[in-house]
Amino acid sequence: MDRRKFIKKSALAAAGTIGVPYLLPSGLLFARQSSMKAQHVVFVQFAGGLRHQESVLQLYLSGSQTEKVEGNIMYNLLDGKPPEDKIAYGTDDKQNNIVGAFPINPILQTPLQRQGVLFPEVRFSKGGAGHFNGLSTGVSGNYYTTAGLRQRTASPTIFEYMRKHAGFKATDCWSIGQSIIGSRPLLNYSAHEDYGRRYGGNFIAPTITFGEPGQQHFMDFKNYHPDTDYGMIREVRGFLNKNFATQGLEIPHLYNTPEEENSIREFVRVTFEKVKEGRLTLPPVNDNGDLKTLGYAVEVLRWFKPKVSVVDLSAIDVCHGNFTGYLKNVHRADHGIAFLWKEIQSIPGMKDNTIMIVMPEHGRDLEPNSIKDLNDWVSFDHSGSPNARRMFTLMVGPGVDANLKVGSETNPVGDAADIVPTIADIFGLKDKVYSAGLLDGNARSLFDRM
Amino acid sequence: MLGAVCAIMLTFSNCQKDFYVYEIEDQTILPVNSQKIKPKSVPQYISILYTNFFQKAISPNSMLQAQQAIESIGDKQVAFDILLSKYMNDSRVILPSLESMQKDPEAFIRNTYRRFLVREPTEAELNWMLNYIKSRPNVTPEHFYFAFGTCNEHFHY
Repeated sequence: MDRRKFIKKSALAAAGTIGVPYLLPSGLLFARQSSMKAQHVVFVQFAGGLRHQESVLQLYLSGSQTEKVEGNIMYNLLDGKPPEDKIAYGTDDKQNNIVGAFPINPILQTPLQRQGVLFPEVRFSKGGAGHFNGLSTGVSGNYYTTAGLRQRTASPTIFEYMRKHAGFKATDCWSIGQSIIGSRPLLNYSAHEDYGRRYGGNFIAPTITFGEPGQQHFMDFKNYHPDTDYGMIREVRGFLNKNFATQGLEIPHLYNTPEEENSIREFVRVTFEKVKEGRLTLPPVNDNGDLKTLGYAVEVLRWFKPKVSVVDLSAIDVCHGNFTGYLKNVHRADHGIAFLWKEIQSIPGMKDNTIMIVMPEHGRDLEPNSIKDLNDWVSFDHSGSPNARRMFTLMVGPGVDANLKVGSETNPVGDAADIVPTIADIFGLKDKVYSAGLLDGNARSLFDRM
Repeated sequence: MLGAVCAIMLTFSNCQKDFYVYEIEDQTILPVNSQKIKPKSVPQYISILYTNFFQKAISPNSMLQAQQAIESIGDKQVAFDILLSKYMNDSRVILPSLESMQKDPEAFIRNTYRRFLVREPTEAELNWMLNYIKSRPNVTPEHFYFAFGTCNEHFHY
């Protein structure tokens, strides 16, 4: 190859890697750094409060009850053999009336732990181990020791960082909630004055949107033509809003463009058609809200191919009063996350181009409360106890080392606030996010912890 | 002599004119919609929207479900648009006829402002709307009602 050709090819390669600088919504010029690791990130908050004993430690009943049976009930995510006795976490044997008798078949031939990196001892280092503290820390990289329910995070969410500093569109960013309970609908943008709704991600709680409330109030909505009908509606509404906008008061929208609004409406319409015709892509077992949410999450990913998606689960929180139900839901969350990962590998553009991160929002106590379930097994709450601060992080995808374990019980590595800088790192924006100065002091990219 | 001086003073004082100075207090001129500074809550908005389109109150159960549906979508403009599109597909929705709008567009515009925004249109607004009706042969009362029902001013009080 002559020198001129070599230089030309090198320049093209560099341009392809770095990307063309462009103006951001903030007015700044942004050139994506060359260290972009993947074009899509899916962050699953394995939420509801997951004890270390039934997950990473694989103690099954021996870490909680008087039964001395160990084993791994998350065999899609973690490497380890399932329990051989006292099986109560699967699907029910209705014929013989045995709860949870049939373990769900694994979806993945190779557990995600072997495909990626496991941080087995991560800490929820500050504040109370409450669901919304945990979820908020996951999406914002900061802790909220005094925040109440129905409050937005004080620090920006990952969606806002990406929209403001990397120019992501609103439909590039999705927060997919298991429900609308508590602060879940508020996880898509913060109350921070320099970020906030202007840079928020879209939110959907699909089991509500496509469940009974949505079926009553959204399903079969009139299909206005996006150009003619909506064109006129937008013109008249735009005139009305122009007269009112000077006061800065508006319906809390998320700055989706008209095309994005059309796309969201069309997504809702098409998904309702799938619901009616039974064509939803659901996990093979889909008997709880988490699994249905993960099924809908696949629909969101297929339709929008978001750059950043956060999905939160919740069903394992039954552990407050039903340990058997908790085990079943832990097993189902594992099943659902494996399904999600498998489906991602079938989505053009996301296949081999998506990093998935899985992390509980916090753990649960070591000591039980006084409630016993149908198997006479004790239940567990989540307080600020050390065990409720133990959690793990699992990361898998292109550019992520395979079969690597980082940290141990005596050498914990990782913090609940790490996910935001990690996602920023994946998109080559870590320094920008750090320099905003709004992350917790402990927060670091997981790539820097390896 | 004294009497003459007093008489002259009285004469002049009686002839003096009173001067009244009329002043105008400074007034801040605000747009006609300036009193609306608070967002309606979602239940308030749904309740008013429903009443405007069905001429009756929404039931408590239906309200609760509508509220949940709205909360399940982050972009409230999109959520309200879908909700109203659903209402528009309901045969019970009450809209002015196209004929009535075309027969007396000014009355239609004034009534629409009163119904949704609880005020009269300004002359500029009225003219814009009348020109819009004139220049868009395909525009219907439904388009106007949709736009008014989902505009920012309607969401505030």
